[in-house]
Amino acid sequence: MTRTELDVTHEYSSSQDVILEVRDVDVTFDMDRGTSRVLDGVSFDVHRDEMLGIVGESGSGKSMFASALLHAVVDPGQVSGEIIYHPPDGEPVDVLSLTETQLEKFRWEEISMVFQGAMSSFNPTMKIREHFEETIRAHGKDLEERMAHGRQLLADLYLDPDRVLDSYPHELSGGMKQRTLIALSLILEPKVLVMDEPTAALDLLMQRSIMSLLGSLQEEYDLTVVFITHDLPLVAGLADRLAVMYAFEFVEYGPSEELIRDAAHPYTRALLKSVPSVDATLEDMHPIEGESPDPVEAPRGCSYHPRCPLATEECKQSDPEYHDVTSERGAACFHWERASDEIEYALGVDPDSTVNSSSVSESTEETVVSLDDVDVHFEQSGLIDELFGKESVVRAVNDVSIDLRENEVVALVGESGCGKTTLGKTAIGLQEPTGGTVSYRGQDIWEAKAGNGDYEFDDIRRALQIVHQDPGSSLNSSRTVRASLSAPLKRWRPDLSPSDRETVIYNLLERVGMKPPEDYAARFPHQLSGGEQQRVVLVRALLMSPDLILADEAVSALDVSLRVEMMDMMLDLQEMFDTSYLFISHDFSNARYLTEKSDGRIGIMYLGNLVEIGPAQEIIHDPKHPYTKVLRWATPPLDPDEAKEANATDPPIREIDIPDPTDPPSGCPFQTRCPEAREVCTQEAPELKDTEGASRVACFREDEHHEYWESEPLESETVSLETETADD
Amino acid sequence: MSHTNESGLETNEQLSDEQLFGHLSEAETVDLSRRERFERALDAYVLAPGRVAWNDWRTQVGIVVISLFVFFGTIGPRLVTAPGTNQAPNNLQPFHGGIAALWEEGGWIDFGSAHELSVGAISIPGFVIRFPLGADNYGTPIGRNLIHATPDMLEMVVAGALVSVGLAAIFGITAGYKGGKLDEFLMYVTDVVMTMPGLPLLIVLTAIWAPRQAWLVGVVLAIDAWPGLARALRSQVLTLRQESYVEASRTMGIPSRTILSRDISPQLMPYILINFANAGRQVVFGSVALYFLGVLPFTSANWGIMMQTAYSEAHALVNLSNFYQIFWPMAAVVVLSFGLILFAQGMDRVFNPRIRARHAKKVGSDEEQLN
Repeated sequence: MTRTELDVTHEYSSSQDVILEVRDVDVTFDMDRGTSRVLDGVSFDVHRDEMLGIVGESGSGKSMFASALLHAVVDPGQVSGEIIYHPPDGEPVDVLSLTETQLEKFRWEEISMVFQGAMSSFNPTMKIREHFEETIRAHGKDLEERMAHGRQLLADLYLDPDRVLDSYPHELSGGMKQRTLIALSLILEPKVLVMDEPTAALDLLMQRSIMSLLGSLQEEYDLTVVFITHDLPLVAGLADRLAVMYAFEFVEYGPSEELIRDAAHPYTRALLKSVPSVDATLEDMHPIEGESPDPVEAPRGCSYHPRCPLATEECKQSDPEYHDVTSERGAACFHWERASDEIEYALGVDPDSTVNSSSVSESTEETVVSLDDVDVHFEQSGLIDELFGKESVVRAVNDVSIDLRENEVVALVGESGCGKTTLGKTAIGLQEPTGGTVSYRGQDIWEAKAGNGDYEFDDIRRALQIVHQDPGSSLNSSRTVRASLSAPLKRWRPDLSPSDRETVIYNLLERVGMKPPEDYAARFPHQLSGGEQQRVVLVRALLMSPDLILADEAVSALDVSLRVEMMDMMLDLQEMFDTSYLFISHDFSNARYLTEKSDGRIGIMYLGNLVEIGPAQEIIHDPKHPYTKVLRWATPPLDPDEAKEANATDPPIREIDIPDPTDPPSGCPFQTRCPEAREVCTQEAPELKDTEGASRVACFREDEHHEYWESEPLESETVSLETETADD
Repeated sequence: MSHTNESGLETNEQLSDEQLFGHLSEAETVDLSRRERFERALDAYVLAPGRVAWNDWRTQVGIVVISLFVFFGTIGPRLVTAPGTNQAPNNLQPFHGGIAALWEEGGWIDFGSAHELSVGAISIPGFVIRFPLGADNYGTPIGRNLIHATPDMLEMVVAGALVSVGLAAIFGITAGYKGGKLDEFLMYVTDVVMTMPGLPLLIVLTAIWAPRQAWLVGVVLAIDAWPGLARALRSQVLTLRQESYVEASRTMGIPSRTILSRDISPQLMPYILINFANAGRQVVFGSVALYFLGVLPFTSANWGIMMQTAYSEAHALVNLSNFYQIFWPMAAVVVLSFGLILFAQGMDRVFNPRIRARHAKKVGSDEEQLN
């Protein structure tokens, strides 16, 4: 199926070929405070051989939909309605009326599912081979034949079948495990593959690679893929159709390109506006006001009306049916025709606003924290290893120098395990470096801690704060918001009276939009939503009046629609409190939003090395290091044209998996994957050098006279991820 | 607004008021009276936990049982005559005279103005109770014996549980939080104690150096009870100290003892409490067993000695008509340990903020999120 033939194929498929028919499906849970309706009368058709992307915020019921398709809703949940499965040959089956034994056969042989946590989907005490064999035996299939198929699948997913099958789960990296899981789920040749956030725990690059591989698998094995995610740009380019879920039902569905270009439902439009992406202009990004509804007391009428700018009396009274936008598209909104005029959004950049980085000059602001040649190495060998002379050192951070200035935002971007968090913690004095120095306003932090500094260590400690990734665990669950926020004030401002403390706390809570503050202050963390928890955490860090805040993936755990709001708030409070941020992210688009908006810098890390650093604009629009280019490639653009273009190109990379950090490659750390690598790269490691622009890059290619240009290119093919192209 | 001017080299200055209040001057200040503040604290720390605890039948039963034992352990001996041999007929059956004794003269209970029950110095007229639980082989009333054994038993339980849980908490939490060499040393000690065989050690210890005081018996019994809990607590602390909020507290420069008491201990409390109850039970079982075996010196009344007498003198296990003599002390042991367990289970809820929030008056509205 191709993009250009989209309409044709869909007419064809919709007329006769529906593989799953979902009719009026409700899923309810009985709770103490009433019935929680987590799927509300959903009717939907899944077409044969399509890739359907289901997009929604967390708590919108998308995972419930996936579970319902397999009749696998967990126990207290009640499912009603009909789900009809049409096998390629044979009678249609109502999934919800199958018996347990029939279901066992049905799952995996007809429909199979891949869950989010690949890490916990394998039994750690069993080899991968045993997982495969167990599955085949349980379904009474021919072992030889199926295993051969399994090996083929693994090879298709760029894995070495022999090595993978003989490994224990812990010996595989996250990305390899996820790919193995996909292979395992396809081993009995199901017709439908349901994937619930299968890539959410993975790195961007791996996500993107898996998505591309999925595309080719789908074609090769005639699969119908239902892909569930919160990440709109991720599926937008690959899915044939998109369906948007809001408040436990689908609000809009349609061919993905049309839907992205001109969404009909106000929620879809708002969602498109709120998603941070690499290509949309910053001014166009706006958070969605308000909160998702509660499954117990969903609003009457249209569930989106409390947040919808177009809502009228009609929306409050009655629930809209699907209005046909085109024959293939539906939107559950009375005002869909008005939506495109009222809520505007733009995809892609207008060409004028690109690179104007000339304005970036060396900042005159004072340096707050500076790291000089910092190394952080972790010894992993135990006593026994030492006896046998086996040493394994993880070089989490390798010879990194970076200066963080007053009121600056610096984002560190890299894949997981590249040492960005370790570097961040070293910068705020939580992790002692094994080499080099970390200094705060010219004073070595660890000297000060030992008591030989000009500064009191306490002051340094106060000046460097942290905001963690997971808002749920950054607050003490047994203390109220007031108690949590009082702690820093009690420690640093013992002169304040309880009333003064409360005044400050209430004012700040109000400032971050938590009103009424008296009510919020008395709550326990579990009574707050994720976004509110993260705001409290930010306020707590700011109450220390710090000079630098390490924001470790501070928005990654939040819903997509809340990220922009949170980042805006961070920037707003930055001005108020005069602080700098060191923002750590694996997501290019978040880093770009925060830094570009504040004229900050982005640093790219790879295997403990800083490979490129420079002004946000330049890094995003003119990446120089091959790795930066790879990351840029891995960040899917929203604009359908660009997405198509990006899908058509192979990833600029030779190997999908990161080398083992205990045994880093010789020479340049990136040479094993770099498409431009030559002989010299395997022998010598490049250092950060100034370029023509304002950024600094660690690559020989930036030096015109380097021997690199005379060196032999390394022999090997680039990874070729078969992707759908426009002209097949 | 250049920050450099205000905090250039003199970062010793604390947060300026201007920074805290300056931008926010439009909002009025909060003024709570001392009384309101006190009420809020009372509600948060006393009333809400109390309500949570009382809302659970387990805590109710546990509290009733424990209070009964505490009552008999403290005031009981003053009210009830000290037991002695031949105060009652030998092998007197419990509730002698059966139900008929309620209306017939004689038997275990009599009503009427002619009778009066003397409780310590006070006499209650109208009825009299005579040895309701019967008497043993030597004519010692079992009821009196039970009650006079309680104070020592409570002393043992409290001392033993406190020592074992206290040692475990100190070793486990410190080792887990501090880590490094201290952790290694403390765990070394723990492991050594753990490998020592408990019961033989106790027997040898008490044989060489017989503890006379009840609390000392408790402490001796607790000697080998703590290492397991210490290990378990250490592993819990090891995971808790990695939690983001603990790291955030450390980053804020909050002293270790505050972190331990505010951030770490509350998460461990349910576990510590149930272990406290368990340690109490262990001490009860242990002491009864040791007295039964005759390893501990006879000093005063004790449930274990009662069981021993019933077993060896009245042959209570063979001669079923004397079974009651071993039943009563056993019942005391079982009911006490049952009460302790129920109480600890119920208290578990008190440390759960979700439940506490529902019972506190002054907490914001409870909007649970379905995740």
